[in-house]
Amino acid sequence: MTAKGERLLAGSFVNDDFVRGHQIRDRAPLPAMPREERIPLVIVGGGIAGLSAAWRLRNRGFRDFVLLEMNDRAGGNARSGRNEVSAYPWAAHYVPVPGPKAVYVRELFEELGVLRDGVWNERFLCFSPQERLFLYGKWQEGIEPAIGLTRKDREQFQRLEDAFGAFRASGGFTIPVELGLSHSPPDLDKRSFADWLREQRVDSSLVLWYMNYCCRDDYGAMAADTSAWAGVHYFASRAPEEKGPLTWPEGNGWITAQLFDRVGSFVRTGQMVRRIERQGNRYLVLTDTVRYVTDAVIFAAPTFLAPYLVEDFGPLPKFEYSPWLTANLTIDRPPRGAGTIERAWDNVVAHSPTLGYVDATHQTLRSQVDRTVWTFYWALAEGSPAANRALLLRKDWRYWSEAILHDLERVHPDIRSCVSRIDIMRMGHAMVRPVVGAIFDPLRRKLARGEGRLLFANSDASGLSLFEEAQFRGVEAAEKALHRL
Amino acid sequence: MSLVLFISVFLISACGLIYELVAGTLASYLVGDSVFQFSTIIGCYLFSMGIGSALSRYIQRGLVHRFIWIELMIGLIGGFSSAVLFLAFAYTQAFAFLMYFVVTVIGILVGLEIPLLIRIVRGHFDFRDAVAHVLTFDYIGALAASLLFPIVLVPRLGLVRSAMLFGIINAGVALWSTYLFAAQLGARRLLRGVSAVVLAILLGGLLEAKRITAVAEDNIYADEIIFARDTRYQRIVLTRFKDDLRLFLNSHLQFSSRDEYRYHESLVHPGLAAIPAPRRVLVLGGGDGLALREILKYPQIESITLVDLDPEMTRLFRSNPMLTALNHGSFLSPKVHVVNADAFPWIDSDSASFDFIVVDFPDPTNYALGKLYTTAFYRAVARHLSAQGLLVVQSTSPMFARDSFWCIEATLRQAGLQTAPYHVYVPSFGEWGFIIASLRDYSMPKSLPPGLRFLSVPTLPALFQFPPDMAHMPMPPNTLNDQVLVRAYDRDWKDISH
Repeated sequence: MTAKGERLLAGSFVNDDFVRGHQIRDRAPLPAMPREERIPLVIVGGGIAGLSAAWRLRNRGFRDFVLLEMNDRAGGNARSGRNEVSAYPWAAHYVPVPGPKAVYVRELFEELGVLRDGVWNERFLCFSPQERLFLYGKWQEGIEPAIGLTRKDREQFQRLEDAFGAFRASGGFTIPVELGLSHSPPDLDKRSFADWLREQRVDSSLVLWYMNYCCRDDYGAMAADTSAWAGVHYFASRAPEEKGPLTWPEGNGWITAQLFDRVGSFVRTGQMVRRIERQGNRYLVLTDTVRYVTDAVIFAAPTFLAPYLVEDFGPLPKFEYSPWLTANLTIDRPPRGAGTIERAWDNVVAHSPTLGYVDATHQTLRSQVDRTVWTFYWALAEGSPAANRALLLRKDWRYWSEAILHDLERVHPDIRSCVSRIDIMRMGHAMVRPVVGAIFDPLRRKLARGEGRLLFANSDASGLSLFEEAQFRGVEAAEKALHRL
Repeated sequence: MSLVLFISVFLISACGLIYELVAGTLASYLVGDSVFQFSTIIGCYLFSMGIGSALSRYIQRGLVHRFIWIELMIGLIGGFSSAVLFLAFAYTQAFAFLMYFVVTVIGILVGLEIPLLIRIVRGHFDFRDAVAHVLTFDYIGALAASLLFPIVLVPRLGLVRSAMLFGIINAGVALWSTYLFAAQLGARRLLRGVSAVVLAILLGGLLEAKRITAVAEDNIYADEIIFARDTRYQRIVLTRFKDDLRLFLNSHLQFSSRDEYRYHESLVHPGLAAIPAPRRVLVLGGGDGLALREILKYPQIESITLVDLDPEMTRLFRSNPMLTALNHGSFLSPKVHVVNADAFPWIDSDSASFDFIVVDFPDPTNYALGKLYTTAFYRAVARHLSAQGLLVVQSTSPMFARDSFWCIEATLRQAGLQTAPYHVYVPSFGEWGFIIASLRDYSMPKSLPPGLRFLSVPTLPALFQFPPDMAHMPMPPNTLNDQVLVRAYDRDWKDISH
């Protein structure tokens, strides 16, 4: 009944990393006469892996290092933003409640007051209601489809649940991945998750939708482009002791900020590394202004950059990266959604190509919220990553914001009259994609083992782009570096 | 012939306007925003009349016959419109859709009436006179209806019966027309029979109207609404029946002036009277000032901080004479400091300590309110307790929502507090529960302030006794990340309402 005047919609592309990234790819000429600096250790990349390496070094009392970050702000996939309404994530927005094997993560969370005497701080656990799914024209609680299931759907969900339970019990699917790999079945890595599901005689479209959703959500890929090992890992690796996940209004940006509080003095932002060369026992790390002469390098930036930067890097493991788009929408008034169920933290629409949205003010203690920010997630999973990367660059802001609004209109018909701003971040190489053969790829495992004093710490060395893997790789690299210096 | 005919015009015109007014008033009452409701309903109605007028050209033969059928349909639909909409609001989600649908249908039918009538009477009068007379009586009917509606109908009959009455008039005009236009009419007996049936149905509706509204008002308000306002946070409604004043927030009863003393005496005194020398008190929620009234019975108290989200609420209870009579002007006491803030962030940011804390929030009907019943919240509240301090929590009904009550109790214990649950009977609520929580042992007061109407020292211990049907149930605590209370509450109340 209300007049639907077209509102003026503000917004733009933000954090366009690829401008700098493409300079590396295009091998722009090296700077002429940089200043030389002697330092025992250089960390390249200020995402969670790099910051975690720095955190470990500092906690071990080692302070002779610098961390070089290409961007103006550290954080990588755990970056966040803030406007007059709320802080909000730009990419990773939660950490599942860590299991007992994630020792380093638990150690970090104890230091940050998230875990105290074995009890998780309630204020950092995702508030009720956590998730909801829009299915058959209404919202249901939880993302796993639960309403309108046929007997076939139910039976296939149960069959998979039993299979995943058995894999979980095998102890081969752990976080960090490294710890369970030796007793997990390599055969699973030789076929796609979609093929594996076919072998399990799963053909319910609802079950397959959910399996694909999970692959898109964690890996940015369809089940057909995901290793069955990784697909199983998603379900078999976690048995949380507490209802989670851990989350903050700014997502994992909260962890970034906490780490930065501790190691910020070692971080140099806006420092693009142009070249890493071996020189006798030492490494030369070249930026536009400084030529670092160092004994060890922790390369925590995405490994696909290494062939462009590291002298004689050799062949890259079987790495494919998924392109993503995230958007932050400023919501001035709550849209009228279909159904009566309350707004949740994570809001997913069944059979949408996108991943839905997360509400940044969900973790508020207030009982009344008028304005909020939604972080909209869209892994461009269908089609080839290269074609989707090209699409990301080719289409303008209006195209993508229209696509986002169009998607949201299915569940919030009046969304256009509620949004005042849409900022969009395009990530061509948002996360490593665990393609068939990637987990047991000998090149990846060699990279992950980390020999010598050039250590690779990005989560892609684990094969899965997870916070826990990034943190594990960073801490491990720091330990190895300390050992070898 | 002519006078009788024009009285018919007058009556059906009045009927048409009444249905429109009924819809507008009903929507304003139930949904609020009367300007929007009346504007859209009048617009929708007039436009639908236009559709009806346009359609009238397709009726070529049997004008009188069709006119009578239209009258009967209007009588039936219009007569029951109010009852149907009331029930739709109480029991379905489709109130707005149904309302505009009913208004559209009635509008189309009414729009058909006048063109048909003009064509019917054309044979009896000069065309010029026919148009003039019909329209004149049409407008006079509208005036009569618009005056009758607010002055007589709504106060005397109410919306449901007014609509029924005018439905009867429509059907009466239909029956009457079978005699008036007998010469132009075949199948008179059938039409008279149908008219009689419609009249009987509407008469039945008129007599049973009370029962229909009672069914609908199970979910809404039974009494006259004397104040209704949509604030930024909630819908405040005050109703009155004789000397009984009732406050509803978002349709949930907060108190009835007849027995609220039972609730508020029990909320405050078992805790506050047990504290040796209370000086500072905090009230969370309680924007009606009734808990304040009880707290002000202790002269040694120096300051009372009341935190309520809604400034409209505290303003209303500070200034409305009917309400200040009820709370004894408690907001005007110099000891009382009102903070209009969201309780959880406020309790987190403030550092003052209090001897007595009253936690009097609406029941945990949704996750937003449920946050105020979590271990995290009670831990934050407990940090404000002085060494001798106690807090009391309104904890819904241990009878109707037994799981919920004991879930709140488990939550307080999980937050590291000792608990002393108790219950009282408040007629307008039923059995109601409270929990005193403290860092040390609680013992019942040896004396109470003078002049209490419900509590007394000898009967106090009985409050702490729970009969088997309300006895302790093992429940998990309610936490921010797992609000079991909201789900339990939903289950509890569903169980008793169906």
